Amino acid sequence: MSKTYFDETHCAIGHPKSTFMQWMLTIDHKRIGIMYAAVMFTFFFVAVATAFLMRLELFAPGQQYIDGNTFNQAFTLHGVIMIFLFIVPGIPAIFGNIVMPLMIGAKDVSFPRLNWFTFWLYILGCIIAISSLWVGNGFADTGWTFYAPYSLTTGTNVIFTLVAAFVLGMASILTGLNFLVTIHRLRAPGMTFFKMPLFVWGIYATAWIQLLATPVVGITLILAIMEKYFGIGIFDPAKGGDPVLFEHLFWIYSHPAVYLMILPAFGIMSEIIPVFSRREIFGYRTIALSSASIAGIGYLVWGHHLYTSGMADIAKTVFSFLTFFVAIPTGIKFYDWIATMYKGKIVLATPMLWALGTIITFAIGGLTGVTIAMIGVDIHLQDTYYTVAHFHYAMLGGVVFLLFAGLHYWFPLVTGRMYNEPRAKIAFYLNFIGFNLLWFPMFIAGYLGMPRRYFDYLPEFQIYHQASFIGAVIFIAGLVYMFYVLIQGWVKGPKVGVNPWRATTLEWHLPSSPPPLENHSKVPYVDFDPYEYYHGEPVVKFDENMRRID
Amino acid sequence: MSNSLQGFDVRAATFAADVEQAFWVNFWISIVLFLSVVAPMIYFAWKYNANKVKNEDVENVTHNTALEIAWTLIPTAMLMVLFYYGYTSMQVLRTMPAESESIVVKVEGLKWQWRYEYPANANGHIHKIGGAFQKPKIDDKGKVIEKGTMGITALYVPVNTNVILEMSAPKNDVIHSFFVPAFRMKEDVVPGRTTKQWFNATEVGEYDIECAEYCGTDHSYMYSRLVVLPQKEYDAWFNSAEDTPKGNFTKTGDALLQRHGCTQCHSILTDEMKIGPSLKTRLSKEQVLHVIEKGQNKLGYDMGAMPAGLATGTDAQEIAAYVAGGLKGEKPASFAACTACHGEDGRGMGGLSPDLVGYDATLLGHVFKNGKEGMIGRMPAFPEIPEDEISAIAKYLENIGK
Repeated sequence: MSKTYFDETHCAIGHPKSTFMQWMLTIDHKRIGIMYAAVMFTFFFVAVATAFLMRLELFAPGQQYIDGNTFNQAFTLHGVIMIFLFIVPGIPAIFGNIVMPLMIGAKDVSFPRLNWFTFWLYILGCIIAISSLWVGNGFADTGWTFYAPYSLTTGTNVIFTLVAAFVLGMASILTGLNFLVTIHRLRAPGMTFFKMPLFVWGIYATAWIQLLATPVVGITLILAIMEKYFGIGIFDPAKGGDPVLFEHLFWIYSHPAVYLMILPAFGIMSEIIPVFSRREIFGYRTIALSSASIAGIGYLVWGHHLYTSGMADIAKTVFSFLTFFVAIPTGIKFYDWIATMYKGKIVLATPMLWALGTIITFAIGGLTGVTIAMIGVDIHLQDTYYTVAHFHYAMLGGVVFLLFAGLHYWFPLVTGRMYNEPRAKIAFYLNFIGFNLLWFPMFIAGYLGMPRRYFDYLPEFQIYHQASFIGAVIFIAGLVYMFYVLIQGWVKGPKVGVNPWRATTLEWHLPSSPPPLENHSKVPYVDFDPYEYYHGEPVVKFDENMRRID
Repeated sequence: MSNSLQGFDVRAATFAADVEQAFWVNFWISIVLFLSVVAPMIYFAWKYNANKVKNEDVENVTHNTALEIAWTLIPTAMLMVLFYYGYTSMQVLRTMPAESESIVVKVEGLKWQWRYEYPANANGHIHKIGGAFQKPKIDDKGKVIEKGTMGITALYVPVNTNVILEMSAPKNDVIHSFFVPAFRMKEDVVPGRTTKQWFNATEVGEYDIECAEYCGTDHSYMYSRLVVLPQKEYDAWFNSAEDTPKGNFTKTGDALLQRHGCTQCHSILTDEMKIGPSLKTRLSKEQVLHVIEKGQNKLGYDMGAMPAGLATGTDAQEIAAYVAGGLKGEKPASFAACTACHGEDGRGMGGLSPDLVGYDATLLGHVFKNGKEGMIGRMPAFPEIPEDEISAIAKYLENIGK
């Protein structure tokens, strides 16, 4: 007999009767994941709107719609939302919660109540961050990096943003802790580390970064707060401090954070490519271990953000050298994915389109990252639009595109229904074209010397800003259309059963779709590899007791 | 604020070429790596499309040791090449010249202006210049009424000389970054620290300075200008107590034409005929006819003298009209008589023969060295004018025509 949310103790407190309270208090990992998605995509659109406001202002030189100070607040708001509220919690909070326990055959995460607490901690952080739009002297105008001494001296309400970032960091640490324990303790019997789906590997590597790197930024933010209100003199040169120290401490976290964002995204890629190529993945172990090594080396490269900061030249050299070694495991992953397509049977469904599109955009994002890893070249390109274009290609064209790929891939799992495939493909093409038109011109503008965070610019750069604006319009239209298609599919799409993609991993072998409470009817026994296909068909089948039938 | 794009096509410091080279090595390696991923991806997506492949043809290839070693080691080697170029270009950028062989200027970045302080000159005067960029004026509807200007906020340096910038910011200020796109150089200006960068400008001219580290309200107006002067021009200014160099410093070439007395015989901005021809236009119809008839042997090009009578009658008339018109409009067939030496575009084949359209540096160099004789009269030689000044004059005259 299947259980319901009412008669089980699946709420953090009590047994509420109302559906609304059941959701608010739920400790079920799937519901928490869905709530994360709802909140995060809401903020995503707020940040997109802010970015569009800036593009609009930059359409022509001079001042049109907003003044310089508002512009400075706008890019801070955009950065804070996109980084701290959206992309850092991002894939782990949504799919790490919804899918990861299903993939390892667990009933939930190890600490469901902690998971519930973490979600509400995240909401608290969001509220603190956003409330400074209305409280105090306006939203922070420091940029999302809060560089000292600017953040210490500005009159805007930086304290709220700093506290919010701290609280969100706390939520991130707890998520990482929860996932680490879950992956170590709750894997189905027989599932060794090298039998885990690669998405779980991505989440695992990320969880370590969340756990180990986030405290550094937490400490840094606290120091900044103490500096600002008690004047202890750590970063402020007027009090004998050193602003470059802040940059170091900030990037010790924020660079690994980049890998924290991309590793689960790579995990999604590793799920989608074999399923839609209908064959086993190429180089499973290499992909798994490259995630781990990226997470490791990623700690040692933060200094490449500081090539022009006044840091010693020998330090620049060492950081540059190490940075190139992050590119290598990333490159190997790409070749493994491409090799997976070789002699497969490739189904160009929407999730696969997003995955392949991301290979193009992330390759550009990654290779332009190599450009600015080169010290002499970066000295010219640092803090220009080239850098802006680079990280949007990597973060939006990498992480967020793969998040969208996952959104389409696991859509039938979560909703039990299917979206309209041709429309979803149109949405992809709109996004892909708009995205490239929006960001590619910025590489050129940056190379020509257009600095970032400029409210006004020299007339020579107008053509690039205008091209970007047109791209932005197409891209936003694509985003809105994509969510329209998905919501439409959720409301009235056709029901498609538990495994519409004929995938192999455990989350596609549930008794019903959407998945029931506590997931698999019985604990599966895993004595097979995650992507076993033979002649284009999944090898492993289960009976209703999750026992293998051959 | 300059009117030309000074970051991409301008390469105005000694090390700019090194940075450029590193960038383009990186560019082509990136293209190779990009194609090594994307080309097979597109090919496989087409070749192994579900429509074409039968289930039994699907093969589970999961390992290929040789291939895996190749796609690990080859990109690694390529990346090491890039590291090397990044490192060497940094070495060039960051190896400071000896202070004894350089001009050391103190740069101060503060909200939102750049200030420059020079060492004392022979008279004990210390130049302290710089200041804020004048923001553009905007009406209520957001239209720009008046463009922003630099005022006197320029950093003046001599050409072909090492300049070291010792940069700092006041302790109660914030971080700025001194960025000269045309020189490919940038370094943060940090309160409480002194950071340094150096350059050796190779071309007389003006270049934009931008603040590249976000510093608040007027970050996007924290411009200044780097004016590279010929050595004499610089010395004259440096040894004076003036804040700005004499003459119209925004047009270095103009100042040079004044100093060398060119303007006594030539008008520059108008067509007025003084003792010599106006320099606004290159050649009049009469001058061209005269040269065609008499030839020209005074300029001293390696190509040698131009013989008389290469064209006659209506052909000569046609050519003269075409050349005097700046080689615009339909090219007469008779112009073929000229192209062997002057090139199809009449630009003198990159300095091999006189430019018929404008005054390029080679032409000016020959005229200054040898003097000139023609229809209008005789111009004496000015062999003392140095090469950097000649190129500045050529650049200036080139821009007048536009």
